[in-house]
Amino acid sequence: MPEIFIDGRAVQAEKDQTVLQAALANGIFIPYFCWHPQLSVAGNCRICVVEVEAKGGSWLDISCNMPVSEGMRVRTDSEEVRAQRKAILQFITLNHPVDCGICDKAGECTLQDYHYAYNGAPSISHDPKVRATKFFDLSRRILLDNERCILCSRCVRFTREISKSHALGIEDRGDHSLVRPAEDGCFDDDPYSDNVIDLCPVGALLAKSFLYKARVWYLRPTPSVCPGCERGCAVNLWHRRPEWQLNALDPRQNTAIARVTPRENPAVNGPWICNKGRDLAAIFERARAEQAMLKGAPVGLAEAIAAARRLIEAARHPVALVSNWGSNEELAAFKRSLAGRFSAAFVKIDRQPDPGERLEDDFLIKRDKNPNTAGARALFDDAPAALPAATDLVLVWGEGGDFARLPAGAKTILLGSYLAPENGHADVFIPVSIQTERRGSYTNFAGVVSTFEPCFAKKPAVADAEALFAQLGAEERVPA
Amino acid sequence: MKHLVPEFERLKARFPAGFESSLVLPCLRRIQEDRGFVADSDIAGLAAYLGVPRIQIEEALSFYTQFRRKPIGRWHVQACRNVSCSMRGAERLIDHLRRRLGVAPGETTPDGRFTLSTVECLGSCGTAPVVMVNDAYHEGMTAEKIDALLAGLE
Repeated sequence: MPEIFIDGRAVQAEKDQTVLQAALANGIFIPYFCWHPQLSVAGNCRICVVEVEAKGGSWLDISCNMPVSEGMRVRTDSEEVRAQRKAILQFITLNHPVDCGICDKAGECTLQDYHYAYNGAPSISHDPKVRATKFFDLSRRILLDNERCILCSRCVRFTREISKSHALGIEDRGDHSLVRPAEDGCFDDDPYSDNVIDLCPVGALLAKSFLYKARVWYLRPTPSVCPGCERGCAVNLWHRRPEWQLNALDPRQNTAIARVTPRENPAVNGPWICNKGRDLAAIFERARAEQAMLKGAPVGLAEAIAAARRLIEAARHPVALVSNWGSNEELAAFKRSLAGRFSAAFVKIDRQPDPGERLEDDFLIKRDKNPNTAGARALFDDAPAALPAATDLVLVWGEGGDFARLPAGAKTILLGSYLAPENGHADVFIPVSIQTERRGSYTNFAGVVSTFEPCFAKKPAVADAEALFAQLGAEERVPA
Repeated sequence: MKHLVPEFERLKARFPAGFESSLVLPCLRRIQEDRGFVADSDIAGLAAYLGVPRIQIEEALSFYTQFRRKPIGRWHVQACRNVSCSMRGAERLIDHLRRRLGVAPGETTPDGRFTLSTVECLGSCGTAPVVMVNDAYHEGMTAEKIDALLAGLE
């Protein structure tokens, strides 16, 4: 463990660390654009410059590519370093349009932050800026603004080192250099392509789905777990801050998921997620079922719960199919309060892969497209090919129940969240909340438990499954 | 490109295994020499042959202006416009070429005979201004010498 001195402070560094890594690990910040902890060292942005002090004099060099050595002394904030950083930022913004006012990245832009922190001066160049393509379709999902690009090459290295699609490159040269996708369109087939949007330290790479949607400071990230497959990647769901609710425009914007970004979790997904995780709004924002029903006739929630209780009490061979989209807490509540009232309770597979969806790869995507199969299997058995013929009541919790294959004459209780034709056919239908409306945890395929937080309030007409199971299972009739 | 593979194999033997991407430039040069330009099918073929991602070949092609993705005229007239040639009248020569050929730099005459280009230093400053036609240097050029030169080209 070499000891090095950063700004005069003794710091213990790992043998194979660089000065930048040692500094960051010890809480000393050195700015960087092109360096990224998960990518190779490109060393092209030069902003991580530090001053190395030695007997024969001192010199400036980039810390991202400087291995530590015993007793070395570096300064991260000397007069020379500050002047050099300022000059580097002048170079980096030489052809940058500085159009922060209309740039989606404003507010979370590294270049913007560094400019205020380390430069703050207008451009000293008299030359007109180089014009380049704007609104270039990098893929079906991503727009590229070449004028904003600072050519850090993070996106290029991502496709070569992480997603392995080798889909991006830098074409031409000098100040005409352009990030471009390979002409055979393979970037469209990269299921991890959207990570380059987060990697981009400036506003060059933009999600088409988020373009001009919101200023990021009006949004709040709520920690959540992607339910798209059994990997259970940690994500942030971005939605309108309550203190910045929109009173004009469409009120649905206040309860919409504006975007999804990865939340770093080294045990599960590192700092990456797949594109399906970016499109969770497509799953969560389907038309919701918000009306309890008895055979399709609208009733109050309490009345539906009472009817369900009566059905459970009257049944001789009731069977439950529990959801593998239920949280561990809901599944435990079911086991605790309700499972004893059923002859059997089985795990149901709620969702099958969509047509054309990537089934599995050796990076993140897993074959089971449900978030909590492991958690459900820990408490309940897998469903048999056919339910026992004597079954006279089936409680179906969640999607994916095959009503055509239920035993003939069996009554049905359906707990669902989304509008579906079968809702109206169930003897009792009770609408239940979804992941974005409650707190809970999922257990992923490897046994890692991840928790998610609510972003939005549940509507009063929708039941919370955990409370519902207690009500359905209570010995005493609960007051309606 | 297929018929060049035996040549590429001989080139390959000169590199250690695992350095296939080092062959991109020599192979592209040979392809352009052979076809006159690098066609899209050549890029796909070379990527498959070398096992190099297509984007790396596209990067190399776009980095070097000497590579062409489209066919050009039978005679490629390249006029140097760097410092020495410019001081010795290259800009006037280029204007003369524009008028004579009726095309701007980067364009090909409608009959497909001539493509006019302006290039950076050709490394013959001592005999500026220099015009290169295909692989031949023509030194100390004047408008008259240009006219005589063009007249001799089919």
